[in-house]
Amino acid sequence: MIVGNLKPVEEIAASVAGLKNVQVVGCGSCVSVCLSGGDREARQLADELSLPLYYPDGPPPAFAVNGIVRQCEKDMVKTYLTLPAETDAVVSLACGAGVQTLADLFSPLPVFPALNTTFLGALDEPGIWREKCHGCGDCMLSFTGSICPVARCAKSLFNGPCGGSQGGRCEVNPEIPCAWAMIYYRLKSQNRLDLLQKVNPPRDWRPAGNTGPRSRIRTGIAGSPGDSLAPSNPTS
Amino acid sequence: MSSFIVNEKCNGCLACVQNCPNRALDYRDHAGKRVLMHNMGLCARCGQCWRVCPEQAVEFRHLLESPWQEVVALGLTACRVCGEPVYTFDYGKKVSEKLRMPAEALCPAHRREKGLRVWSRIRPASPPSPGGAR
Repeated sequence: MIVGNLKPVEEIAASVAGLKNVQVVGCGSCVSVCLSGGDREARQLADELSLPLYYPDGPPPAFAVNGIVRQCEKDMVKTYLTLPAETDAVVSLACGAGVQTLADLFSPLPVFPALNTTFLGALDEPGIWREKCHGCGDCMLSFTGSICPVARCAKSLFNGPCGGSQGGRCEVNPEIPCAWAMIYYRLKSQNRLDLLQKVNPPRDWRPAGNTGPRSRIRTGIAGSPGDSLAPSNPTS
Repeated sequence: MSSFIVNEKCNGCLACVQNCPNRALDYRDHAGKRVLMHNMGLCARCGQCWRVCPEQAVEFRHLLESPWQEVVALGLTACRVCGEPVYTFDYGKKVSEKLRMPAEALCPAHRREKGLRVWSRIRPASPPSPGGAR
């Protein structure tokens, strides 16, 4: 899932200082599950943002809480998320995709992010999410015992481990395990250590987004290929 | 009660069933009727059914704003002073077992009051503030 962390409240308050009516909009998907941007967090944030101490130069805005199951789906937001006419700005607790979708739909209304979208991760233990995937667009988990060196090696090495791996720990941060040590032990348990004999060539990073934003077009559902890339028109 | 609701425009074309990515929709043709079925436990609320329906028959808002459903009803213990509900019988029983003593049914206000009374008997000259000593 997409994991996010709440920004410092001072930073969010600075975005909305001087405004009158602000909608705090939670998102009911990934950021609800990682306990950072759901309805409960939206209510808590609205309460905290209402404190006058964050606004030395004037009264705090009036905050109202809103939400939708997913902020990142344009047609669903357009149909089911209604903002009052007097809204001056939106504070979104979605990931960056959700914030941009709201901004496209409600333009020119300012939409401010309340979260720092942090990583694609998994819930390893209750309350602990860890990064597992960079969305690099060319998955190599088949060859690495299903442990991703792109996301979990601090150097994203394709031929590891590096010389600094000691006792199964990473030299960049000894708190985290060396991804390549984990890969070695996983492949050993699978009796597939021969995979480590292969030298991986330099990576083509174009599928990782280095040629611009990526898109996926599902034939049979989407319209013509250009439609999904067309700039939004909030007046249509 | 399912929160998946279709309006009178539904003609049973099964576009929703065929496009549901989680197979949360199914149908049964029986005794001259086509019955559309929905499984909330499988439904991801992705909205594909709503998007693909050629008749705009899927009332997706019911999946976004579904009503509360009663899950269980348990007997309550009330504060022995003011009668305010404090916890369920079963919860009180579990706490008593864990503490190996009867749980005293007091609401937060009367529990605090009782603590202050005990404190005033121990240290009558310097009772703590109502905020409580730490």
